[in-house]
Amino acid sequence: MADVAVIARPATEGTRQALVLTEDRLGHYPEFRAFFARTFDLDRVGLSEPGFVRAPSGTSYTLAFVGRSGEPFPSGLEVYAIVEALEPLDDTAVDEDLWAILSWMIDGVGSPWTVEDLHATGRLYRIPVTR
Amino acid sequence: MIMDSLEHIDTFRAQWPFAARYVRVNGWRMHYVDEGSGDPILLLHGNPTWGFLYRRVIPPLVDAGHRVIVPDMIGFGLSEKPAREQAHSLDGHIANLAGLVRQLDLRRVTVVCHDWGGPTGLGFAMSNLERVRALAVMSTWAWPTPPAEFHTRLFPWRTMHAPLVGPYLLGRHNVLARRGVYLSVVDRERFRQEAQAVYEAVLPDSETRLLTWAWPRWIPLDDSARAQARFTWLEAKLAKSKLPALIIWGREDEVFDAGTFAKRFKRLLPHADGPHMVTGRHFLQEDSGPEIARLISDFLDTLGGA
Repeated sequence: MADVAVIARPATEGTRQALVLTEDRLGHYPEFRAFFARTFDLDRVGLSEPGFVRAPSGTSYTLAFVGRSGEPFPSGLEVYAIVEALEPLDDTAVDEDLWAILSWMIDGVGSPWTVEDLHATGRLYRIPVTR
Repeated sequence: MIMDSLEHIDTFRAQWPFAARYVRVNGWRMHYVDEGSGDPILLLHGNPTWGFLYRRVIPPLVDAGHRVIVPDMIGFGLSEKPAREQAHSLDGHIANLAGLVRQLDLRRVTVVCHDWGGPTGLGFAMSNLERVRALAVMSTWAWPTPPAEFHTRLFPWRTMHAPLVGPYLLGRHNVLARRGVYLSVVDRERFRQEAQAVYEAVLPDSETRLLTWAWPRWIPLDDSARAQARFTWLEAKLAKSKLPALIIWGREDEVFDAGTFAKRFKRLLPHADGPHMVTGRHFLQEDSGPEIARLISDFLDTLGGA
């Protein structure tokens, strides 16, 4: 999934963080939590720094990891688009970016999870990005 | 806002003329309808539907002399929809039903269950036996192992509600109400004309759809599942239950197929009437509402005043 890249903290002057997706239960399947912990070195970094990725549209996204007492970290995840401070979101572009981020995530989580299954699921339910 | 959207659907009021009633259970606002008089029948829906699923079941039951109560599960329909996944648990939803039944002081209740209305309704029944007269089950389950081979598959089931994928597909895109129900009825064209817009309208925004991906995550897939102990308890209680029971199933149900599920309910409740097969996939009420009402009414007639 070369079209999504982990990046260093981008410049944020003149931008805002727009919440576009939340997950309360990242460890529902523990391999998903492990993927983010591995990719962003979370055992060392903890809550001190979010993760950042750049998506196909060129927009950068903040991955804010959430901790919950009594549960392995991270327990949740919030995805924010970093966009021009006073401009509305391009919903179509965000939707396509999120789909790319999900594909990148599934690819990183690895077997038995596959990008092919994700895309087939998207096609089955006819979401716009698969049309 | 949701009622405004529903009122703008031409066919809605003709199909759903029932007065909205509300009660607060465990701190949440629960919507229900309460029609007719007599011994109460509790009609319980599952994911991602609401009481509207029973729109063609309610009138014949009322006409047959029954009181019919149809709650919307907290998180669905016109009930309050908590914005956090941690608000939902199987035990919590069972307790929500107990809260409703006790506030209405219902007794001699017939509990009619579908989908997640099964684990919740049967859980309520087994923990409130003194209030329950009979059970009826449709396309549901009540045991701890994965309910169907379908639920163990990565495509499409586990992928659909995987971390982040669930909030995207079921939250942003509402795929269960928008597409999943449609795929799980027999007469899809009638469903599209009469019901599709209604099911979508009650889940208008991402956060209102949370339970559509939270419930799939409560289906036990192995011994470490959160609801494993509750389902084990439920199966054991049902196996000892002597409550009169009725089994109704959809002939075309591919997910909770009759050969596996209706048969297993019959083993669990060998005294049960049925299984009675009707036209229907998982959402069999969409295709066979009046027939289901007749089966329930006939079954209750056999119980008489007992």
